[in-house]
Amino acid sequence: MFNRETWIEIAHTVTANPLRTALTGLSVGLGIFILVVMQGLGFGLQNGVQQDFGDEAKNSVWVRTGRTTLPYRGRQPNRYVQMRNEDEQRITEQVVDAPAWSGRRMMWGSTVGYKNEQGNYPIVGVEPDFDELELLPLKGGRWLHADDMAKESKVCVVGENLLDELFKQDDAIGAFVTLRGITFRVVGHFSKNGRWGNSMVYVPLTTMQRVFNGSDEVDQMVLSTGDLDLEGSKAMVEAVDGDLRMRHSVHPDDVRAVRVRDNQEEFAMFDRIFTGIRLFIWIIGGFTLLAGAIGVANIMAIVVKERTVEIGVRKALGATSGSILSLIVIEAIALTLISGALGLITGVATLNAVAPYAEHDYFANPEVNLRVTVTALAVLVVAGAISGFVPALRAVRIRPIEALRYE
Amino acid sequence: MLALREIEKSYPLAGGSLPVLKGIDLNIAQGEMVAIMGSSGSGKSTLLNVLGLLDGFDSGGYDLDGVDMAGLSEKQAARYRSQFLGFVFQSFNLISFKTALENVALPLFYQKVPRRERQKRAMEMLGKMGMDDRSDHLPSELSGGQKQRVAIARALITSPRVILADEPTGALDSTTSTEVMQVLREVNASGITVIIVTHEADIAEQCDRTIRLHDGVIIEDGKSGEVVEPTARGARSQD
Repeated sequence: MFNRETWIEIAHTVTANPLRTALTGLSVGLGIFILVVMQGLGFGLQNGVQQDFGDEAKNSVWVRTGRTTLPYRGRQPNRYVQMRNEDEQRITEQVVDAPAWSGRRMMWGSTVGYKNEQGNYPIVGVEPDFDELELLPLKGGRWLHADDMAKESKVCVVGENLLDELFKQDDAIGAFVTLRGITFRVVGHFSKNGRWGNSMVYVPLTTMQRVFNGSDEVDQMVLSTGDLDLEGSKAMVEAVDGDLRMRHSVHPDDVRAVRVRDNQEEFAMFDRIFTGIRLFIWIIGGFTLLAGAIGVANIMAIVVKERTVEIGVRKALGATSGSILSLIVIEAIALTLISGALGLITGVATLNAVAPYAEHDYFANPEVNLRVTVTALAVLVVAGAISGFVPALRAVRIRPIEALRYE
Repeated sequence: MLALREIEKSYPLAGGSLPVLKGIDLNIAQGEMVAIMGSSGSGKSTLLNVLGLLDGFDSGGYDLDGVDMAGLSEKQAARYRSQFLGFVFQSFNLISFKTALENVALPLFYQKVPRRERQKRAMEMLGKMGMDDRSDHLPSELSGGQKQRVAIARALITSPRVILADEPTGALDSTTSTEVMQVLREVNASGITVIIVTHEADIAEQCDRTIRLHDGVIIEDGKSGEVVEPTARGARSQD
């Protein structure tokens, strides 16, 4: 069945009808191409968003404040709600029972100098627990200690961008740097995913409050929810939110002044969104496949009808029904397989070509699920085989003399 | 060579069946040249299907070269067809995307003859038909007479014992018809049995024997030229 003669016959019939061959190939190839590209884009989107999120612990609650937008209890709107150390202390000691927490304060565009080099980096004041709340993989040295907090030590942990840009070949650990003109000692450095995170300089929150502004202000607060489930973390969010609103006289409906964001809930939401996107891609992919299969079936039906006379002649010349059927089925399989593979290759090549230009905060590494694509290709090939087989079976059952008078 | 005994065949129709052959007795000897005549609906193409092993029959017997053809499997029928029989058709039925040479060589493909050998024998056969200078032409580049010559070459390539021709001159003008009949006579002279289905009396006259079919039965069988036109006998045509 798979000898050279058969392939010569098939090559003959395929090349004898270039338009028909091209159309069949196009419907199959395009189907696979669209499926591959859609999948790649879907994965890219998912990867991008997950990467963007990736470094914050899933079980954390972020507390932020802003300006009030509603008058409340005799207070005018547009008042800035500032959290202070006392808020943090009260919330962590009396309001909720968080296994880990950290206040956070940020100073953008701070001049950092080392020997003759200097650059602008954000300085972030945090507490020792912070490394449990955000992923900061240490590459050398140590993280901030409780001791650093208590003594208000002038120590810092820097991101890897500073290693490249300031320290060059020098060993950063133990080196002295100036942060806004004040000398600090580098005790550790880290490397994380993403561009921003690696430019950060972390210092103890207490040190920052003391040396840079002499205040007890806290910009953000991060709390761990431990092993609480979604319901538990929601309760925690409500408790923190309610406490802050009461203490700072913020209207319950004011969404700007106090913002408490639960990562777990956001994760759940993104999870739902991606389930939706995946489903969407599956549906579109499924219908594309269906369209491809219908295209193949349609063209094969026409092909076989066109070749009814030829089938009759072949039978009269000594062909068995089996040899004619296998000729048409192998032709259909070869056609769908080759054009499907071409679609697959073009799709993957397109993704690879486009990927470097499509780097965006919410888009990364568009990848192709090969298993799904190969399954899709197999489905199309089977559809092609069946759609060649069924009309061919009908055609070989026609009595040759009738077939030959078909014209 | 060919012997039909009491062949009956009917086609299923909605709500019954349509009898087409109603008991055909026929003996054709090796080397005969026979015309089968009849109007459309007389059953002549069904008879050709049965003779050509392209269709079965309901009852009766069919011996081809002394072998009983009743109850052949699809595969066996295909094998006997390719061994014993050659077909020539009214509309030539050359495969349009194959050259003259490839068309002639096709039956040998189904006999699993190696490609080189196929090409050589096909070229020889085209030469016998005076068509060797057209071997690489597609059917669309050939005239009607040339196409029929290629078709006859294709029928002869397997050295069959019997040539079955279905209206071989139906699509040709009278000059070309005469030429094609001349070729068929030469084929017959080499010892091959030729059976021609036709409705043209002058074609039948060029054969040795004429069989007239009407309404599924043989109504006349005799030397060509002695079988009288049906209208002359007052028989009712079905057209």
